[in-house]
Amino acid sequence: MVGDAIVGVTANPLSGRDIRRLVTQASVFPMAEKANMIQRMLTAFGAVGVQRVLLSTDLGGISAAVLRAIGRHRDRDGIWPDVEFLEGQPIRQTAQDTIDAVRRMVAAGAKVIVCLGGDGTARVTASAVGEVPMLPLSTGTNNAFPVVREATIAGLAAGLVATGAVPAADVTSSAKVLEVRVGDRTETALVDVAVCTERHVGSRAVWEPTTLTQLFCTFAEPEAIGLSSILGQLSPVARADPNGITARLAPSAARQVLAPIAPGLIAPVGVAEIEPMRPGDTHAVDATAGVIAVDGERELTFEPGQRPEVRLRGDGPRCVDVPAVLAASARLGLLQPGRRLAGSAGPGHMPPTSPSTLRRYT
Amino acid sequence: MARNITYREAINEALAQEMERDDSVIVMGEDNAGGAGSPGEDDAWGGVLGVTKGLYRKFPGRVLDTPISESAFIGAAIGAATAGLRPVAELMFVDFMGVCLDQIYNQAAKFRYMFGGKAVTPVVIRTMYGAGLRAAAQHSQCLYPVFTHIPGLKVVAPSTPYDAKGLLIQAIRDDDPVMFFEHKALYDLSGPVPEESYAIPFGEANVVREGGDVTIVTLGRMVHHSLEAAGELAGAGIECEVIDLRTTSPLDEDTILESVENTGRLVVVDEANPRCSLATDISALAAQKAFGSLRAPIELVTAPHTPVPFSNVLEDMYIPDPQRIGNAVKTVAEWAR
Amino acid sequence: MTGTQEHTALTRDQLLNAYRTMRTIREFEERVHKEFATGEIPGFVHLYAGEEASAVGICSNLNDRDSIASTHRGHGHCIAKGVDVAEMMAEIYGRQTGSCHGKGGSMHIADLSKGMLGANGIVGGGPPLICGTALAAKLKGTGGVSVAFFGDGASNQGTTLESMNLATVWNLPAVFVAENNGYAETTSSSWSVASDNIADRADAFGMPGVIVDGFDFFAVHEAASQAISRAREGGGPSLLEIKFTRYYGHFEGDQQTYRADEVEHARAELDCLNRFVGRVTQTGQLTRDDLAAVDTEVSALIDRAVGEAKAAPLPTAADLLTDVYVRY
Repeated sequence: MVGDAIVGVTANPLSGRDIRRLVTQASVFPMAEKANMIQRMLTAFGAVGVQRVLLSTDLGGISAAVLRAIGRHRDRDGIWPDVEFLEGQPIRQTAQDTIDAVRRMVAAGAKVIVCLGGDGTARVTASAVGEVPMLPLSTGTNNAFPVVREATIAGLAAGLVATGAVPAADVTSSAKVLEVRVGDRTETALVDVAVCTERHVGSRAVWEPTTLTQLFCTFAEPEAIGLSSILGQLSPVARADPNGITARLAPSAARQVLAPIAPGLIAPVGVAEIEPMRPGDTHAVDATAGVIAVDGERELTFEPGQRPEVRLRGDGPRCVDVPAVLAASARLGLLQPGRRLAGSAGPGHMPPTSPSTLRRYT
Repeated sequence: MARNITYREAINEALAQEMERDDSVIVMGEDNAGGAGSPGEDDAWGGVLGVTKGLYRKFPGRVLDTPISESAFIGAAIGAATAGLRPVAELMFVDFMGVCLDQIYNQAAKFRYMFGGKAVTPVVIRTMYGAGLRAAAQHSQCLYPVFTHIPGLKVVAPSTPYDAKGLLIQAIRDDDPVMFFEHKALYDLSGPVPEESYAIPFGEANVVREGGDVTIVTLGRMVHHSLEAAGELAGAGIECEVIDLRTTSPLDEDTILESVENTGRLVVVDEANPRCSLATDISALAAQKAFGSLRAPIELVTAPHTPVPFSNVLEDMYIPDPQRIGNAVKTVAEWAR
Repeated sequence: MTGTQEHTALTRDQLLNAYRTMRTIREFEERVHKEFATGEIPGFVHLYAGEEASAVGICSNLNDRDSIASTHRGHGHCIAKGVDVAEMMAEIYGRQTGSCHGKGGSMHIADLSKGMLGANGIVGGGPPLICGTALAAKLKGTGGVSVAFFGDGASNQGTTLESMNLATVWNLPAVFVAENNGYAETTSSSWSVASDNIADRADAFGMPGVIVDGFDFFAVHEAASQAISRAREGGGPSLLEIKFTRYYGHFEGDQQTYRADEVEHARAELDCLNRFVGRVTQTGQLTRDDLAAVDTEVSALIDRAVGEAKAAPLPTAADLLTDVYVRY
């Protein structure tokens, strides 16, 4: 195992506090709960031998609450790794804060990056992780991409990958992404790209399907919430499928679907032509002007003549498969203190358990 | 050794000396240091008009900035006083008393009485009052009559730097809740103040000018307007005795009555509004207890029964000025049945 | 919740009006800043420059049957709600021709005929008033909505919290707008607001809380439109937290030693007027000529207002005693 076992954790204080709270029955995800999730993960990291955790700092109260918890932490609550708050950079309360933090974590040698937030947070984190595996944990209102997973379990999974106890290559896979180009601007989406007749970014969220003319999805699961559910009901595409899917939308289209496009918001959507997206193919945006939303947030405005394009790629961020990590751990006895691991039968590569884990249990 | 310092500096010095002497004295209020959590200086203001400047660094941990939550932090100061601290809390403008009055008059003022003498509440609430800075209706009032009315509170209003320091030191040492009124137009006033610590007892008025013709009873900034009028009147052969009350609760009745018995003529000068005011209070006292001595009706020179107006010219009309005071003195001086 | 709102994009006239109003506020405040330094303006002024997108983004969704309550930093809300600009300037100069005949000053400008309940010198003074106007609108069935503007300082004031609670309990047609410019006088909001986001407090009072970029007129307008429709349609109150910065000090004369360089950054990178101009010219909704014409108009308006104010008569002795009661 090379170097310290370091995990980076970034939490978005602004997720779940946008206009969707007014226009849908979006969930209330208190800062206190985000801070609690981080604490549960710290306990999990400590249990599997993670040595250092790098934590993003924010003005939303999450890192402050974790700092206070570290001050009050008692040994009998479990051993926590050393926590380092990334400070010294200005906090502008925009997505750039997440990008800056993740880049610093990657540069500092983090082996896994856990991000707490919705689709937007996952997307932004993905743009900065490079080759480092990420584990998006759901909070926020629009959660098609991040998994809803108990934080302790996610913490165990991230920790086991960070320490090398479970090799990253065995339990991570690249996500599909959609690349949108408008002139010299590029954005990538993890789930969906929607073309909107709105002219301005405004409050960012998309909740009016009548304003959508075109939709592109990396996957479309029938059980997911969000814009991808429009196609998930009509023509499901799994995450593991190499292709994506695209459709033209019009309120008057013959085919209508009731889609759960946001929490508490089930809207009729008219869907015209549907076609697959193969990796590498370039698809043109039909509209002459408007705003392109990536993962449910209006992001790129375009004017006549700019001709935006969308392309599916299979080389997106590597994401940790939590069930696979915990299954490997069961097979390898990683959470069974005292069990002899060297020479044990079992499939796959078996690295030595972190010495610090053994220390805690003997 | 006395030297000239300002009213503002005298208050600051009183706080610093008492905090030095007694660990239980703490200071709290909005922007009392200034800059809490802000990227610039931590001691940016030292109070909105700089009165508490420097204390933050001299007494770390004992000068507390507060959010704008008077009910909460005035209440906290009062509770801490019953538990053994001697807090000096700042109600920035007395005009804001509305948002925390319950804590002051129903809690602090009544603990000792309601609890059968078993509570001690040594809290000082410093507050700015008075017109003259064009700060308009909600930042210029003289509300000491309201507090004077409440049994259980003491009310102090110094007129000079010397009095400010001595009375504040007394207030901090006093075991009862004290409302300490600082006139915002006096902060820059300079005057002789001893370097050493000293306390001026409450309920002892100061005869700042002796005279045998007319008694002027007043306090705060009006002491200076009264002295100015008195100077002019001396030229016309009228000698005024100017009494600076210093505290309205307790009130130095003896000094007032002694003077009125001597002159027989009384003018009360009070910057507050006229109804249920200090002026009516003093004049009732004189009418009741010195009736036989009075040779003229009592004249009251007060603000009108209006809110404090904004425009320069209106505010100047509102505040009792030396001319109006002079006219009132002449009225009682020339009065004949 | 209403699943299908009628969605209307802003018309050319609405965009022009929005620009005109924001530009008027900016020029008004910059001019007051200049004039105040000459010493001719009595008392205190608290300038709204930098925050225009909030007042205009919200008030552009309101009409005369809707009410707003403002703060000590009230010039922007007054202008956005339609108070006469020349009368405002005269008031600030303490003249008899002022909105309040020289008896209120900068912090107390009001115009009840336009639903403007006044700037307010008491932090947190507005929210309780707005519960009252919202209740009246509900009982009389006028369909009016009441909006309480307050700052990050006031978000900690008991009156604000109590008002939010009452508005939900009575299901009032109200919107609470927390204008978080980062400072309550010198004290930063990140220090003084325990939950760090004011919007988080909405949950405690049973209403939705939304964070809005205060430098973006379109973001404010959209969020306000939803909150106001919700209130008008009987859906109850909501809380908008507008995040931005003020370009000047707490009051004119504040040396601002407690600040870093955020104002320079905001003026250069985030300014709401620049962003608005950038957007509407890029989409072609308005031209630079359209906007320049408005700039000229506004300049002339402010010049006239200041000139008239300086020449206007001061109040008289008779004015001192009037209007204390309707009949005394």
